[in-house]
Amino acid sequence: MTDSAAGQASHESSRRTETAIEAVALCKSFKTPVAAKGRFSGIRSMFSREYTVKEAVTDIGFTVEKGDFVGYIGPNGAGKSTTIKMLTGILHPSSGSVKLAGIDPHRDRTKCASKLGVVFGQRSQLWWDLPVKDSYDILAHMYGVEEKDKLRRLPQFDELLALGEFWDTPVRKLSLGQRMRADIAAAMLHDPDLLFLDEPTIGLDVNAKRNIRGFLKILNEEFGKTILLTTHDMDDIEQLCRRVMVIGGGQLTYDGTIEGPRREIGLPTEIKITYQGRYELPDEWNAEDAAQGPADLFVRVDEAGPAGAAGGEPPTLSSASGVIGRAELPRMRIVSRGERTLTVEVNRQEVRTMDALRELGRWGEIDDVEMREPDFEEIIRRVYG
Amino acid sequence: MNTYIKLYLLLVRTSIRSRMQYRFNFAFGTILAAFIQLSEFLMIAIVLAKFGAVRGWSVHEVGYLFAVMTLSKMLYRTFADEVHHLERYLVEGELDQLLTKPLPVLLSLMPRGFRLMPGELLQGGGILAWALGAMLAGGQVTWWAVPQTLFAVLTGAVVLFAIGLATATCGFWTTRISMLQNMTEDAAQTAARYPLTLYPGWMSGLLLTALPVGLVNYVPALYILRGELGAWVFPLLAAAACLAVLLALRFWKFGISKYQSTGS
Amino acid sequence: MISFRTRLFKSNPRLYSALAAKAYARNIQYRGSHLLHNFASAVFGYLYACIWIGLGRDHSLGEYGILGMMQYITFTQASLWISSFTTPGLGIPQSVRTGQIALDLMRPVHLFAHLAAKEWGQIGYQFLYKSIPVYVIMLLALGLTPAHHGTTLPIALVALAGSAYLSICIGYLIGVSALWTTESSWLHWGNQALMNLLAGFFIPLQWLPEWLQAIAWASPYPFMLYAPTQLYLRKEHPIVLLGTLAWCAALTLTCLLATRMLRHKVEVQGG
Repeated sequence: MTDSAAGQASHESSRRTETAIEAVALCKSFKTPVAAKGRFSGIRSMFSREYTVKEAVTDIGFTVEKGDFVGYIGPNGAGKSTTIKMLTGILHPSSGSVKLAGIDPHRDRTKCASKLGVVFGQRSQLWWDLPVKDSYDILAHMYGVEEKDKLRRLPQFDELLALGEFWDTPVRKLSLGQRMRADIAAAMLHDPDLLFLDEPTIGLDVNAKRNIRGFLKILNEEFGKTILLTTHDMDDIEQLCRRVMVIGGGQLTYDGTIEGPRREIGLPTEIKITYQGRYELPDEWNAEDAAQGPADLFVRVDEAGPAGAAGGEPPTLSSASGVIGRAELPRMRIVSRGERTLTVEVNRQEVRTMDALRELGRWGEIDDVEMREPDFEEIIRRVYG
Repeated sequence: MNTYIKLYLLLVRTSIRSRMQYRFNFAFGTILAAFIQLSEFLMIAIVLAKFGAVRGWSVHEVGYLFAVMTLSKMLYRTFADEVHHLERYLVEGELDQLLTKPLPVLLSLMPRGFRLMPGELLQGGGILAWALGAMLAGGQVTWWAVPQTLFAVLTGAVVLFAIGLATATCGFWTTRISMLQNMTEDAAQTAARYPLTLYPGWMSGLLLTALPVGLVNYVPALYILRGELGAWVFPLLAAAACLAVLLALRFWKFGISKYQSTGS
Repeated sequence: MISFRTRLFKSNPRLYSALAAKAYARNIQYRGSHLLHNFASAVFGYLYACIWIGLGRDHSLGEYGILGMMQYITFTQASLWISSFTTPGLGIPQSVRTGQIALDLMRPVHLFAHLAAKEWGQIGYQFLYKSIPVYVIMLLALGLTPAHHGTTLPIALVALAGSAYLSICIGYLIGVSALWTTESSWLHWGNQALMNLLAGFFIPLQWLPEWLQAIAWASPYPFMLYAPTQLYLRKEHPIVLLGTLAWCAALTLTCLLATRMLRHKVEVQGG
């Protein structure tokens, strides 16, 4: 599944050529001493040289072009944070190398750090007991930001992130959403070209999330910043990222466009038709027949549909599930049937929507059509495996 | 370099300002610190009052040892308290933030814990004045002893910093360092409050070489107070302090590259 | 919450023993690194013993003599793990910081009894895995023989149990103060300093100046280290245990009073 659509990502952005992040064969293993068991275990484990080696990340390699917006996702403990920490120069990889805009963040950590913005959702880089604005003054000195640049940038951030409302409040008194806005602005104060965000929307309410996403979008689209974020919120990925990398068990299991997993997994799109009156189901679509027909004529669609597939309409005729189309007809699966409504699933990899609608229109006078794309979260759950 | 110094001063100002948000706590902490210092001194004063000289070292000379150690430790802790408390950064993962800054880690770490220690300064200074005053009056030392002692306090602080930094660096492997600090810092500094001849040879040897707390007060006192050794102790102290701190810094750099961070 | 309060001490002893057992078990998984800790602790003890040995070369060490002072330091150093190195503030400062304190107060168990039970488990662990190893290491390093008079050790241990309870009470009071000051860790250190000085950790109390002795004997500290040590060295009649008992009673009352103030503070101000 790896790397199938990576080409597409770079194709999409062919106008850009510079590499922002280059990770080659990154590995990180942690050693933990083995605790001996049984009698005198305390003493024995003191002298024992035994370790268990935990491979947190094995052989991860990718490049990110300048101006990309990449989502880095994976279940807890898959190695997301470890990767981010290696990319930002915090952890030294056990083997492999990282280059950020051509600089090695481990050999030239300080030089590299001045070109990076890093935000950890779980902790703040602001000065806890001081007013927010003081943190910006300190950071400006720390990163050598000219006074005039600071005075130009801060009002911009204020406009986009509404920092003004808590300008003079000590950081410890900010709400989580305010703190995160302040933290992201802090990471951008020295105008880095590359921004890393580790779970920037964790624990935030809808408004705060929207606000932060809007800001990140502007940073990426209008200012051409390269952004890599990790998150557990699939809306972040869907609304922001052009490219997504999935890590599982310390390895990249997918790297490509966000449409990619949809295609690969082949989760069906759901079409709900409301007819003006009753509709006639042609014979060849009847469930009973399908089950008895010659095997080569039928293509079995993946049994497991989206979890909420029948949510809208009670499946009045449950016998209809499992109905399969003939080879010459558009392949569809009837999920549920009502008096005037019909819900089918089509895999848009195989069937064009218009073909499906044309077929459905033959069965009765269509009044309304509703389409639901497969849930991204559902897709990702499949990719995580 | 110049910008680093400016930045250091700014960060120090910042951390003092943060601390001043809790004025009551600051005052309370200062009073209690002075009280703790006092009780530590009483421990040694009682021994001296009861027994007089220790291994041929007069009350004033032992008081001098105590005072120089207190002042050196005060300097070390004023500037580098956070190095001593590195364990907190390692356990809570706070070091991650510092590593994303375009500064040497020590430069962003040390000013965070900058604190004035008036209790220790008064107590150490007071005892030093008492001890040197008595020895000046008795003609044991000349006024030269004052600048010489200040020099020893400075190099001593550097030596203590080097020991503290090397100990803290071990935390990159073990995470927990308080136990090690117990031995290399607390026990060693306590030991050096008395003349090292009090201890078995292997122990005094250890305290002059591997854990050179003896260089902080004992070796300078041998020359300044008792005229033993020679004036060459001063270049020796300076060289030893430089060497110790360079070794500790190299070890620290190596340790950071082994930093494992926390969490997933 | 009123109804909880009336049930104060009726809660069953099995709960308390379970709490203590849990605290004990939580520690036992770290006993490997704790054994290393003992080494550090023994180094400290050895250092103090060396100071007395050195002093003893030029001076007579009074009624103790060099050997007596070595025994003295060995016993106080091992006892520190019972009467001094308890959880700072019994963990109350942390629970105040996280807001957990409100939940703790809602439990149908009196806060003091609850935390004391936990601390008993901790101390029991420290006795087995810290005091005894430190004691043995120091005996070996200094070439001493353990006390061998029939009732000496049992009586000293009873006195130590009393000092463990006293240290629980003092730790609790320090912890409760966290509600009024965020720097209760300073109080913890202050307490340690007093232990060093007034409990006779390093210097036997009779060598302190008169005024300091007077202060010491007006406090519970002599009963936390000095009295057990004197019993161990057979220099004191077991009647001093009455003093321990009296202080245990007085501090228990203080703790109950402090709990009422704490509860009031939490209920009125929400922590």
